[in-house]
Amino acid sequence: MSAMDPTEVFRQEASELFEVLEGALLDLGQRPDDRELVDSAFRALHTIKGSGAMFGFDKVASFTHEFETAFDRVRKGEIKPTQELISVALAAKDYIRALIEDPQSTDDIIGEAILDDLKRFVSADQPVAAVMEIAEAPPLAPAVTKQAGWHLYLEFETHILRNGSNPLDLLEDLCKLGPCFVVPVTDGVPFLDEMEPEDCYLKWDVKLHAACDKDAIDDVFMFVQDEMKLTLSPLEHVEAPAPAPLFQLLDEELAPVAEMPAPPVEAAAAPVAEQAVAKTEPKSESKPEPKLEAKRDDRGIATVRVQAERLDELMDRVGELVIAQARLTQLAASGSDLSIKMIAEEIERLASSLRDTTMGARMVPIGSLFGRFRRLVHDLSRDLSKPVEFVTSGEDTELDKTMIECLADPLVHLIRNAVDHGIEDTATRAANGKTEQGRIELAAVHSGAQVLVTVKDNGGGLNTARIRAKAEEQGLIATGAVLTDHEVHQFLFHPGFSTAQTISALSGRGVGMDVVKRTIENMRGSIDLSTRPGQGTTVTLRLPLTLAIIEGLLIRVGEGRYIIPLSAVEECIELTAEDERSRGRNFLNVRGNLVPFLRLREIMTASGTPDRHQKTIIISTGETHVGLVADQIIGNHQTVIKSLSKLHSDVTMFSGATILGDGTAALILDVAQLVALAQSKVEKQHISEAA
Amino acid sequence: MNDSLAGERQADAMQVVMIGLGEEKFALDAGLVREIIDPVPVTKVAGARAFVPSVINVRGNVIPLADLRIRFGMPQLEDSADTRIVVIELELDGEPVLVGVTADKVYEVTEISQTDVQQTPRVGMHWKPEFIRFIAKWREEFVIVPNMERILN
Repeated sequence: MSAMDPTEVFRQEASELFEVLEGALLDLGQRPDDRELVDSAFRALHTIKGSGAMFGFDKVASFTHEFETAFDRVRKGEIKPTQELISVALAAKDYIRALIEDPQSTDDIIGEAILDDLKRFVSADQPVAAVMEIAEAPPLAPAVTKQAGWHLYLEFETHILRNGSNPLDLLEDLCKLGPCFVVPVTDGVPFLDEMEPEDCYLKWDVKLHAACDKDAIDDVFMFVQDEMKLTLSPLEHVEAPAPAPLFQLLDEELAPVAEMPAPPVEAAAAPVAEQAVAKTEPKSESKPEPKLEAKRDDRGIATVRVQAERLDELMDRVGELVIAQARLTQLAASGSDLSIKMIAEEIERLASSLRDTTMGARMVPIGSLFGRFRRLVHDLSRDLSKPVEFVTSGEDTELDKTMIECLADPLVHLIRNAVDHGIEDTATRAANGKTEQGRIELAAVHSGAQVLVTVKDNGGGLNTARIRAKAEEQGLIATGAVLTDHEVHQFLFHPGFSTAQTISALSGRGVGMDVVKRTIENMRGSIDLSTRPGQGTTVTLRLPLTLAIIEGLLIRVGEGRYIIPLSAVEECIELTAEDERSRGRNFLNVRGNLVPFLRLREIMTASGTPDRHQKTIIISTGETHVGLVADQIIGNHQTVIKSLSKLHSDVTMFSGATILGDGTAALILDVAQLVALAQSKVEKQHISEAA
Repeated sequence: MNDSLAGERQADAMQVVMIGLGEEKFALDAGLVREIIDPVPVTKVAGARAFVPSVINVRGNVIPLADLRIRFGMPQLEDSADTRIVVIELELDGEPVLVGVTADKVYEVTEISQTDVQQTPRVGMHWKPEFIRFIAKWREEFVIVPNMERILN
């Protein structure tokens, strides 16, 4: 990490800040009165400006500065963030991003145009005037505004200097508000041999003799407020109004400090803090602020940036370790050395917890992905002039990071479809007695070993008749064939299938849904469609939690050994002689339910004689339960998934392979495909029999 | 075909690994060969195409095991003490793919000279001509330089 290009660090940091900024701006469109959002957008902007200048992105810094200046009036609450203003602000954000990522291709003229727009919006009602601090704080009680000054006690976190903040600069800013007496409090300074040269041990006791209001002081410390304790109490009376050079004042003030009843001693600081809090609470300070700070604090301390490739590498190593451990366990089980068995057990336990931790480290909350779709919906709804409310839930749901990356494109397609085809235009909605604003919900939720991601719209629903007509037209089905609605909808996933009457810029080319389906299936997931005419469509993506390692059930069929993903296994039962009796009737009676079964020996063309007691593994794919008949159930197996090569891409029955304890390869059954294959085989048989 | 032939002619000699399949000798371009290993337990893949009937574990990777004898219509002999697996790396559809190839015997790494290259005869062969890059003469014997990309696609 240390060898990383500093500009790269800045780019990464900036891209995270852009996400924050974009999120805040979009939220602001819905909740224009939320001060916290304005502040968070402003903070992001300010940090981009600061680090931009630090890393030599001068253009970024100067543009952001202009942006910030324009936006400042929004922050001051002088103007409301309108939809137009937010659109321009988003454009400005994109421009800054372009400046950082690809400075060559950006054009100053565009930047100027955006700035002009911004300025026009923010100064539409009145010329940009110097901002009056006093005027903007009406809620302050008169008693407070009239008081003569403030007594501040500043305590910074010791690591403040490492973040590039300089308390002295802040103090200087503070002095600009009015005459200040600044007294450093040195009781926190350790002995020389214990002193970290990069830590800040000083605290400051400041008396500010100016009738400025509290927000002005807060503004000074705005960007470090998470890393400091600011205790604020109003001064009772004017002590020394005459402005004097700082050093002189220091001299005068030093003596009184020693006997001052207030702060320096740590124990005494607490009551003052409480007092200050009690006084400031009823004022303008927004309540959620402390919560926000706490969250950011956590993140600053508890997370480390790691390159994604390193995580991949780690996962590979863990995969190899798990395989080696399986071999050790097998070896230990075959011997009689008790101490080796103990070590093998210990290593098994460690390997499995290491695996869990590693997979956990690769888990990323899906919220990071959801963020970008808000922009997409915002832009689409503007371009198509369909007002759409976009609601997300389950942002905390965690998924393997590679899956998050793979999910982006399919979700773009689905959301685009929902806005373009799903949501009707305003007139149609009104005619159908619906609210003018459409609604799209994007949700993620854990369900067993799967994660369900749903895209739900409240639009017109799928037009089953039209899909059917189109399928007939393209010769995909015979005219008049009997199909369920569900089967008809499957044609949407057919390559090149589109029912859109006109091709718009957004969709209608029929590329999309088949790509979505393929991508999801490549992740060993599945896709469900459900629709209700006039009420909307829900697309559900079912995804496994991870791509790398699964829990599997190891079975033996003839000589071959296979893995069934444990998530698909419902139960294991013995095939009774009664079930075996008839060859034409492949059904089991499982507690009164009929369950069809497939003989894996036949499917895998196993040689030799079958074991006398055949076992049945009941698996579920979607709604269907199917029994798979095997010779032996060997047991649970930690399955490290290795993909099959291109030469075997025509074999759909297996989703991959793994390496067993004895070093041989075993194939992983793709149960959904297996069942589908068996079904189509049966159908073909019926057709040939009928012919 | 002509392109590859022309390409070969530019270089004077070609490093090859000489392997035996049935009665025939084949010369595999040494540049393709990653390693030669003793036979390992194979895992049958039901439903796969006949010339890639199984997969094997080579250093933690599961790779397909191809049987050229099937492609060339030769009888499959039982594994003997001489049987080896030659692991080669090929480009299939722009992606590198490791493939194991069963050989009844591996003779040696040698050079065949471009001057020994013979035109593939149009008659007298029961193999598909597209499977063969060219035929060369080596120690008074004719050896086949197979076109692995075509054979495995």
